[in-house]
Amino acid sequence: MRMIKRLERSPTLILAVITAGFIIFGYSTSILKITDFIIFCIYVLGYDLLYGHMGRLSFGHMLYLGAGAYGTALCAKYLSSNVFLAILCGILFGAAIGGILGPILIRTKGACFALLNLAFNQVGHFLVLVPLAKITGGEDGISLHFTGYRFLDFSNIHQLFFLSLISLILVAFLIIKFTHSPYGILLKGIKENETRVNFLGYNTYRYKLITFVLSTTIAAFAGALTTLNYNYANPSFIDPHRSVEVIFATLMGGAGSVLGAVIGGAAFMTISNYLPRYILRWEMFLGLALLIIAFKFRKGIWGYIREI
Amino acid sequence: MLQTIFYGLTIGGILYIISIGLSLTFGAMGIVNFSHGLIYAIGAYTIYAVMAKMGINFILGAVIAVLVSIPFSYIIEKYVIRRLYGESIDYAIIATYAVLLIGVDAIKWIWGASPLPISDPVGISIQFLTMEMPLYRLIIIGLTLLILIGLSLFFKKTIIGKIIIAGLGDREAVRGLGIRLDKYFAIIFILGSALAALGGVLYSPISTLHPYMGFHILILCFAVVIVGGMGNLRGTAIAAFSLGLVMAITGRIWGPAAEAMVYVVMAFVLMIRPIET
Repeated sequence: MRMIKRLERSPTLILAVITAGFIIFGYSTSILKITDFIIFCIYVLGYDLLYGHMGRLSFGHMLYLGAGAYGTALCAKYLSSNVFLAILCGILFGAAIGGILGPILIRTKGACFALLNLAFNQVGHFLVLVPLAKITGGEDGISLHFTGYRFLDFSNIHQLFFLSLISLILVAFLIIKFTHSPYGILLKGIKENETRVNFLGYNTYRYKLITFVLSTTIAAFAGALTTLNYNYANPSFIDPHRSVEVIFATLMGGAGSVLGAVIGGAAFMTISNYLPRYILRWEMFLGLALLIIAFKFRKGIWGYIREI
Repeated sequence: MLQTIFYGLTIGGILYIISIGLSLTFGAMGIVNFSHGLIYAIGAYTIYAVMAKMGINFILGAVIAVLVSIPFSYIIEKYVIRRLYGESIDYAIIATYAVLLIGVDAIKWIWGASPLPISDPVGISIQFLTMEMPLYRLIIIGLTLLILIGLSLFFKKTIIGKIIIAGLGDREAVRGLGIRLDKYFAIIFILGSALAALGGVLYSPISTLHPYMGFHILILCFAVVIVGGMGNLRGTAIAAFSLGLVMAITGRIWGPAAEAMVYVVMAFVLMIRPIET
């Protein structure tokens, strides 16, 4: 019990536990798969910043992941073969989408916010599939070949694994720093009671917009890494039907904490990778699990560990 | 052009029939009900099963489909929606979405994932001026108008309707009068769901059936509800018909963009108008 409390207070310890956990997990199962898990965890972290910390449930967060994935893929295909430039391009693209949609979206909250995100995700999915099909390859997507950069070789799965792990640690570190600063406390205030924060003289609109764009940027970063990992980008990266996955992962781990997000991401990926082998009706299982979470298991895995 | 407007009115009418339940559920209970899409799909698949497998005619099939949907919506109301009163809206979204997921998978289990067609049950077209109008679409528009009038009478004249309207305005005051609002909200939930099933029945001959059809139409209906104002019945009607026209006109100019245009219009409406909730 005391150990858990100590773990929560020390950022270095959290990061160390995440690193060690993924290295052990990765080398005891399959590196290729765990790279995927790590990238998904980055995505969950970005989502948790919006949902867990600020209390805005987005139902179309795949849009921003897809923006990052397509930004990277398009840059790598048409502009330059430099991998890092491509990743940067993807991140900036995601941030730009967040910056454009943010001012409209962020004025709403609750159901409106969730559904508007879903609607924009639908538009994004449609744009990729039909009007921009000449550039994005439509249904087939874009397949790429990343060669490497100086001593880095991205066809080597071990290097890719550590690149993703370092990215995850970086994002987790950033989020810990953010949420432990006055800005993080302000976010909690917005989640609990926005009117009062406004009343205290803070411009909540600005903080909400910053958080939203930050969240989309992190999602886009995860998208960029996904493209790098799979060597392709296809419409399933932006499919609104998959938006529920990240919500499920966030809730399962426990919303509002970095460790919760990482545990949720890893747990969801484990379930979705290994369970469909045994369970034929995967969506039905996901639905039942979501119902149980919504009614009985709201604190998530980490929330329960914390209370022991 | 006249034909485009006519098609738009058909789509608008169907959107209205489906959205009304969503709008009421949202206005009355503050719940975003994703399981509405499931009821819609149940309506459509039931009529397929009844017509194609048992050879029953369309009108009787429609009645059966609506009746079949009622126990489902009753179960959803009793075991999911009722537990969500007063909860955070996030859990409402997640729980009803979970119901939709389970239902979609059950549909895939029973009927398979591939799209199924239903033929036009009337099959006659009427020559009007220079254009040709399928009679079936005319019937849809007529039926929508009937429902529109029926609902407005229901909310103005009957005591149940009046209680619900009062409950939409001020929940606490109505409860203070000793009225059990939950019961009335359950009634309109089932009424709204039955209309969704009817919407599914009416729309299936124009489009095709596929397991995700509920999810698909639901996003459109959410756009209608957001544009029309949540819990605002007249706004929902106006929004449904205008967005139906937007879809038809865009579809005439460039087919694939029809649905995307709805969301663009919605974004513009939201930018201009301040948003409640």
